Amino acid sequence: MGVFKNNKREIESEIFTGSMADISFLLIIYFMVTSVFSATRGLDFALPEDNNETPEIKQEDSIDVFVQPGGDLQLDGNPMAREQIADKLLPYIEETLRENPKKPVILRTDPDATYGNMIYVFDILRTPIEDGGIKIETISIPTQREISNIWTMLGVAQ
Amino acid sequence: MAVIRGREKKSGGEIFTASMADIVFLLIVFFVLTYNTEVDRTQVDLPETWVRKNIPKKAAVISISSPDQGEVVRVSTGEEMSLPVSTDEEVITFASTVVAQDPAKEFIIKADADVHYQKVDAVLDALKQSKVKVIFLLSDQKTVDG
Repeated sequence: MGVFKNNKREIESEIFTGSMADISFLLIIYFMVTSVFSATRGLDFALPEDNNETPEIKQEDSIDVFVQPGGDLQLDGNPMAREQIADKLLPYIEETLRENPKKPVILRTDPDATYGNMIYVFDILRTPIEDGGIKIETISIPTQREISNIWTMLGVAQ
Repeated sequence: MAVIRGREKKSGGEIFTASMADIVFLLIVFFVLTYNTEVDRTQVDLPETWVRKNIPKKAAVISISSPDQGEVVRVSTGEEMSLPVSTDEEVITFASTVVAQDPAKEFIIKADADVHYQKVDAVLDALKQSKVKVIFLLSDQKTVDG
């Protein structure tokens, strides 16, 4: 008796992956074009909590750092050239804080100075002081309106 | 004369592409993880600082473009694209609204290094009047050369 051979062919199941590379590269290009390596770091400062008590203001109880147009400073009224700031600002503040560590540093900026000038000084003030140094506890950045109010309170004509 | 026909096999040049899928998916995963939608695309030349702290995601953004671009102030809640504002009062209104919804909301000031401080001062004043608690001043990393 002749044996009938079943001539079944195996059907290969296969997922078509030919277009996968196209899709993948399309996704890569999309992410590359739309993603931004944004700057996500910077200097922080906390604003004081609301306080209804009027603080007693004594001009000599603070260190006055005044940034001028061009980047030069007036440090407690004494001029300091921009080139000297990096070397002389912190030692001066440290010496002053040794007498009174609670003294706040008031950072004022001339309206005609640039934001970069102000940030340059603020960055130095925020630089961690080396071992044995004194930490600046309070750095205050008053706005022009607040400064005007203070002068008015003190009765000083600007 | 009998001609011997050469049985030349065509040798197909082939680039091995089996690992391409791995590389491509690795790249996709990288981009998906690092993908960051920026709510404000104002081109600014940020000031450089040594001290830099991480800024929280979803903080509200106030940007000030360079003097060449007119020192335009734009505001964003951190979730929507930024919109230009023209007066200080508008900044106060924006900040007050944001703070009313979330009193602990941080604000980022993203300003060009050449912007006149007067403009930054006005924004700072608006934020102070709006009872904002923490402000970040966006900066680039200072280098020894810079």
